[in-house]
Amino acid sequence: MLKGHLDMIVLAALAAAGSAHGYAVIEEIKQRSGGAFDLPEGTIYPALHRLEQAGLLSSRWTTADSGRRRRVYTLTKAGTRALAERRAIWKQFSDAIGGLLGGARPRETPA
Amino acid sequence: MIQDFIQDYLERLAHELDFDRSLSRCVRQEVEDHLWEAVAADPAGNTFESQSRAIANFGDARAIAAEFAVLSLTRHSRRAALIAVLVIAGVFIAMKARVAWYAAMPWAVGDDIRAVSAEVMLIDRYAFLSSVIIGLVGWIYIQTRNIPAAFDPAYRSQLRRFFLICRAAAVALIVSVASDAVLTALRFSGMEFSATSLVSILSIAIEIACVGILVFQIRRIALRATSTAALMQS
Repeated sequence: MLKGHLDMIVLAALAAAGSAHGYAVIEEIKQRSGGAFDLPEGTIYPALHRLEQAGLLSSRWTTADSGRRRRVYTLTKAGTRALAERRAIWKQFSDAIGGLLGGARPRETPA
Repeated sequence: MIQDFIQDYLERLAHELDFDRSLSRCVRQEVEDHLWEAVAADPAGNTFESQSRAIANFGDARAIAAEFAVLSLTRHSRRAALIAVLVIAGVFIAMKARVAWYAAMPWAVGDDIRAVSAEVMLIDRYAFLSSVIIGLVGWIYIQTRNIPAAFDPAYRSQLRRFFLICRAAAVALIVSVASDAVLTALRFSGMEFSATSLVSILSIAIEIACVGILVFQIRRIALRATSTAALMQS
């Protein structure tokens, strides 16, 4: 289930962290989810590459303090828009499930 | 000695990603930075245990390579579609250059040859037009698909459709180029070979090379798809 939402999670983490490299994105996800998401860390990288290929992220190479080459990712405008859309869909879904599980009827949207 | 542990993993990952050399180099650098940062953040410091923890948390090299293989296949499919469109444009330019050359030369064509040429020309025209339309459809089709996260059945059928479109475009282009070769042969039949006929032969050679590039690209993508499928199954 988590894998199905990986793109949204990565976009959200990058929106919160600003520009970040893969390791920092994973740390951001762990910190913000309270360690709830325990994916193999390596799966983040194909997701980062895929999102970049889709134009939702951009990347640049920098040199870390350690002297190693580091790839830093940033959300593009299209990425920010995509995240907003996914947030809205998620909220709608979450409200519906919350209403269902909590016993309350979800707020009806006017026709 | 300790350093070899991470280096071994990186070698293994780079080897698994060998299907795409530039991707392999890039991913290796990213993962190297990741693993050493994970080791640096480990309270145990740089030890065998911290390195194996970093590698275990990162995941199986083959599984990660398989996810990248899907991305690589998508990128190369899109590139192949663009090459197909460029190849068709190349054939068109060679065709137009030859026609312009014929118009500039004072060559007379016999009535019997003219009649046969008209029929071949009709085949040529429709075959080329079909290759343009089918090639553009293929390019638009693959460009407008979402980038898949996995080599799932939906992506497989998407690839199958793309291959079918590419093959159809290639067949139409082969018919068109073969018609051009026949037309050129008819025009020069009974004539002595001269330096001026070299222009026509060269333009046909360019067209054949363009078709060769297209066939090579289709075959390359098909092989890549097969190796990606094999990587996903293992």
